[in-house]
Amino acid sequence: MHQVKNGDISVEEFTAKTIERIRQLDDSIHAFLHVNSDAIEQAKVIDKKIKSGEKVGDCFGMPISIKDNICIKDTKTTCASKMLQDFVAPYDATVISRLKQQDAIFVGKVNLDEFAMGLTTEFSAYGPTHNPWNVDYVPGGSSGGSAASVSAFECVASLGSDTGGSVRNPASFCGVVGFKPTYGLISRFGLISYANSIEQIGPITRTVKDTAFMLNIVSGHDSNDDTTVDNPQDYLSGIDAGIEGKKIGIIQEMVGDGIDPAVLSATKNAVTKLEGLGATCEDAHLEMVKYSVAAYYTITATEAGSNLARYDNLLYGYDLPVEGYEFNSYISKARTKFGPEVTRRMILGGFVPSAGHAGRYFLKALKVKQKLTREIEHLFKKYDYLIAPTVPILPFKFGEKIDDPIALFLVDINTVTANLTGKPAISVPFELSNGLPIGMQILANSNEDKSVLQAAHALESTVKLPEVPI
Amino acid sequence: MTKIGLEIHSQLTNLESKLFCSCKANYREYAPNTNICPICMGLPGSLPRINKKAIEKATMIALALNCSTPEKIAFFRKNYFYPDLPKNFQITQLNIYGDTSVGGPGHIIIGDKKIRITRVQLEEDPGRLIYEGSSSKNQITLVDYNRAGTPLVEIVTEPDFENPKQVREFLNILSNLLENLGVSDPSLDGAMRADANVSIEGGNKVEIKNIGSFHDLEKAVHFEITRQESLHSRNIPIPQETRHWDDKRKITISARSKEEELDYRYFLEGDIPWIRMEKDILDMLKKEMPESISSKKERYISKYGIPAQVADVLSSDKFYSDLFEASHNEKNAKEIANIITTDLMGLVDTREKRELSKFTSVHLRDLADAIQSGMITRNSAKNALPEIVKTGKDLSRIIADLDLGNMSDEFELSKIVDEVVSEESEAVKQAKSNPQTVNYLVGKVMQKTKGKADPKITMTLLKKKLE
Amino acid sequence: MMVTEEEIEQVTKLMKIDVHDHKEFIDKVHAMIDYFDILDSAGVEDEEILMLDVPLSSLRDDKHIQYQDKLIEKLKHYKGTYVRAPKMM
Repeated sequence: MHQVKNGDISVEEFTAKTIERIRQLDDSIHAFLHVNSDAIEQAKVIDKKIKSGEKVGDCFGMPISIKDNICIKDTKTTCASKMLQDFVAPYDATVISRLKQQDAIFVGKVNLDEFAMGLTTEFSAYGPTHNPWNVDYVPGGSSGGSAASVSAFECVASLGSDTGGSVRNPASFCGVVGFKPTYGLISRFGLISYANSIEQIGPITRTVKDTAFMLNIVSGHDSNDDTTVDNPQDYLSGIDAGIEGKKIGIIQEMVGDGIDPAVLSATKNAVTKLEGLGATCEDAHLEMVKYSVAAYYTITATEAGSNLARYDNLLYGYDLPVEGYEFNSYISKARTKFGPEVTRRMILGGFVPSAGHAGRYFLKALKVKQKLTREIEHLFKKYDYLIAPTVPILPFKFGEKIDDPIALFLVDINTVTANLTGKPAISVPFELSNGLPIGMQILANSNEDKSVLQAAHALESTVKLPEVPI
Repeated sequence: MTKIGLEIHSQLTNLESKLFCSCKANYREYAPNTNICPICMGLPGSLPRINKKAIEKATMIALALNCSTPEKIAFFRKNYFYPDLPKNFQITQLNIYGDTSVGGPGHIIIGDKKIRITRVQLEEDPGRLIYEGSSSKNQITLVDYNRAGTPLVEIVTEPDFENPKQVREFLNILSNLLENLGVSDPSLDGAMRADANVSIEGGNKVEIKNIGSFHDLEKAVHFEITRQESLHSRNIPIPQETRHWDDKRKITISARSKEEELDYRYFLEGDIPWIRMEKDILDMLKKEMPESISSKKERYISKYGIPAQVADVLSSDKFYSDLFEASHNEKNAKEIANIITTDLMGLVDTREKRELSKFTSVHLRDLADAIQSGMITRNSAKNALPEIVKTGKDLSRIIADLDLGNMSDEFELSKIVDEVVSEESEAVKQAKSNPQTVNYLVGKVMQKTKGKADPKITMTLLKKKLE
Repeated sequence: MMVTEEEIEQVTKLMKIDVHDHKEFIDKVHAMIDYFDILDSAGVEDEEILMLDVPLSSLRDDKHIQYQDKLIEKLKHYKGTYVRAPKMM
């Protein structure tokens, strides 16, 4: 991108190179569901602007990939589901219009677990994405396409969405930076909802600075989303402020049972490095973490059951004539296009908030969410940051866990806390183990997003990973 | 004892935009599905944006019904599949996490009966289904979403009504109240709908759904009580059930049991944050609340000496009371009340007539002044009204055009009086012993002058002749 | 807690999900719901449910803005600008 800004190469050339790389690599990675065939034309328009001395947006034609659950006007937005195989979004998401204003180029829509339900991208109806570090391994998810495309240099940055770790988990598995902001920092208008009360759009980039750059463009209050907060910041300025004198808590419930020894040792190394940067680290406790995954799945199933109810195929979707069906049978028939994981979550989503069971499951889940929030806010009175590995285990091979829902649940245990409490959290690539990346997670209190980026930048400066071997 | 409870749905017809998007709240003039946007169609990625004024207007309704108002308002999702619901859930309100609907418990007095209000809630109206085809086999369902997402206020009462008469009185008061608040026009088609629950002594509670107007609501309640009493008298148990109102046949029909089993899975709508009711806005709303109908009535009686019956009519119809308020002063108030409630009413008693009417409060004031100054008679005023309503011309023009000016020329009048006295010899004889008969003779003079004769002068002239 | 096949059947009807092989789904859903039982021991009964709030004054003004595009033309439509639904029972 520097070369583009310096005028060494044109936006068109850079875009063509990027598209070419996607063509070369994506047979083996399968990050992309759709490549933008107008990208070169759009690049030419920006080149013209540059030549004529017109003001050019901050992105300067930066190639960005977009998770396929974020709407780009007149572009297919499938959520990696057969249910939406023909859905063309009639409008831009707020994040998209903000990036367009800054002359970004969307090189394509990238893969995810169907409707973002999953953490391996194996649940995509269009086939899984592969981890660029080793194509036999899952890239994480649900924003697996986003993380893999950034990791494999198929784009400079990507936007994913994070409901329970869906940005941070694949960022960790693919060795890139993934950020879940404070709830409300980035508008969700145009993000197709999975569990709307806890999810956020988040950038996936190769460096923390790039994340700050993206945040400067896409964050901020939006009148189209009443849940956005107004907290204008320049995330780039002062990003190298360092963490000297800061107090950091290590969340013990996230480095306990079931943690991979390599991940544990990476965490210890991270603590040493953070202390080397002048911070003090000590053990901290969040008792409710034990219940957080159960609460998370109860809440997400409930909201998903409602959010996905609109997919009845009457207004959009795919071709299935209504003749010969009665209403209920038609809807049930149309919805067989949902894949098995979505179907399971729909059943859960009908069960846990139902009149007979809401008190036992849904209401309790909300209360766990509340108590976890109180606990973490109590910790933030004492600590500037909390840290934990992003995922307690190493990336795994395809098919290894897909059939065991409970094993998959536990992969989420370190990431769902930030969603349930609305706090900002970032995953920074930290070490490799057997050639597979391990990410370190930093959390801070609400609206301390800038501070999280400063700490992440400090930690990142101590790390030098080898080039991705693809 | 018979117990009746109501759930009244009133559209906030006077708002500009829908509850969660900027489409038009008044959907009535649009071709099918042309008053829609991604939000009210629930397209993937769209988010609701709540209308501030809808909350304010709904709060005014709650205040007028003496309801408590919460510190924070929350919205919930009611989940069920139906083709008129684009999202297959309805955003509505509920009080499961404390009182978070726009209005908490309240009450309204009808006569000497207190009806308790359970809550007032704000919700979105669904679209409309149109059925085509003769039999159920080739039936086609068409959907028009123009109405989807328009603001609806639901007023839930406790089962405090004992008979259809009380229901009717309540509905009259309520529709006048909603109109008086300026939140809704109850005469618009579909603006008022209702559900009711009815139980008689010894029977289970029966819900009646889909009642499309206040008129039918009273009928439905009446039908249901009769139906239940008939079952009861034959010792047939009355099951707890949901019934639908069939507005063509004017009967209630048992709904399929499947619908009763619906589990709505209510939970919080996360796309709408809880809304803090700021004190200064609440104070402002209280200040902006129009004077209540009962207080208006009281004022009309005590301040102007307007008879109770006239004051009742005048205060309960916003159209009339607005006219009155805009035109009256201490001197002409009674005259104006009189013109409205005796002569004007028949000319502007329907929505259509009111829309076509060119009559203004200025006409009303001029009419009262003209009568009081003796320029025209009450009779002439009455004759002038249809023309004013039709053309909107100034009163002075109408008086000239229709030649309504008061006939007070004694010479002219005495000629007519003479005519009457000679024609009505029998009455003249009677008048000497019975003074009432004089009025008959005055009437005859009026007939001959088309109501223009000055009544005072006519009387004096007649009395002179009869001496 | 035991989840019966009938219960799953009822929920699939409620959620309009046609599931051919109930058995496979029951096993997985059952395992998930079993896992949720951990919520019983969280000791959160007394916790209050609090949510983010915004002041009324920050909400959208009541203004009509016609949506620009002829949206219905981008959606499935029938007989002019109607939407067609299956017949109702």
